[in-house]
Amino acid sequence: MSKTIIFIQAEGKPGVTEAEITISATVRDLHEAFKTHDIDFDKEFEAFVDEADSPVQHDGRATVEGLKHGSRVHVTRCKKIKVTVHYMHRTVDRAFAPGTRLRTVKQWAVHELKLNPTDAGEHVLQLCNSTVQPPTDAALAELVDGRSCDVCFDFVPEKRIEG
Amino acid sequence: MTVVVPPDQLLLAADLAAPEFRRGEIEGKWRHIETAWPHATIAVSAAKRPHAPDEYGFQFECGGYRHTPATAQPWDFAARQALPAPHWPAGRSIVPSVFRPEWKCGQCLYLPCDRMSIEGHGDWIHKHPNRLWQPQRGIICYLEQLYDLLNQDDYSGIRGA
Repeated sequence: MSKTIIFIQAEGKPGVTEAEITISATVRDLHEAFKTHDIDFDKEFEAFVDEADSPVQHDGRATVEGLKHGSRVHVTRCKKIKVTVHYMHRTVDRAFAPGTRLRTVKQWAVHELKLNPTDAGEHVLQLCNSTVQPPTDAALAELVDGRSCDVCFDFVPEKRIEG
Repeated sequence: MTVVVPPDQLLLAADLAAPEFRRGEIEGKWRHIETAWPHATIAVSAAKRPHAPDEYGFQFECGGYRHTPATAQPWDFAARQALPAPHWPAGRSIVPSVFRPEWKCGQCLYLPCDRMSIEGHGDWIHKHPNRLWQPQRGIICYLEQLYDLLNQDDYSGIRGA
């Protein structure tokens, strides 16, 4: 059994927490890592490994599936996150796993909205009613606070840097 | 004799050891090559394109970090010199608007988060708020933009290909 590094992103705790854990880890090992790093994990919360659809199970003796060196573990109250994307006069929506990266969301939106590759390459996801365009590597769980499990984006043209 | 390390150098060192930077390294997004204060050389991974490298080096000048934005130029870290213009990243629209070897003799990137480029571009604060330097995030906000630029469909490889 060897030790490896994982990165925990927890609702209500800003930034990223680096933790060391044994591979293969049990659910109890993962909960211990949360405790060591002062991360709340009560009955309301679920943990998701990377972009997995299903949360880590609650049986302490079970092995945490999919955990690897550098995995992102998301601790959130959202079991799914409902994404709405507005593009011109059209709107599409779908529920995603909390660990889903924006790159994946964009690919889905491009497919649903039937954008050609050139248009797709020149558009980015921007949080509604803001100027925030999160990096494509950001996970949806980073964009919610747990009180709401909805994220709204406008699909906007990416501006060339000019002037 | 006690050597006093300046706070900007200490802050950069802390950020290069912080979880956000380390996560990017483990995920293969970037890697720290060396720091020779006030410069830090970091390689950023790029999407595969014909006749193009799988990463680009950047030399960041970080004096006054993090309150003062960094400035970066494409860097040949093997030769320890500025990257020649034909080897700079190219693209159709967004990428060539950022990687402009003719801008300030190639000493910086045409990005609002870059210290040299934001000078004289007060309108960028309103035009590109998402691309500004974020003192609380430091070099990560610059690296995230570079990684996204070099891994989007607009990126086509090197200029001279």
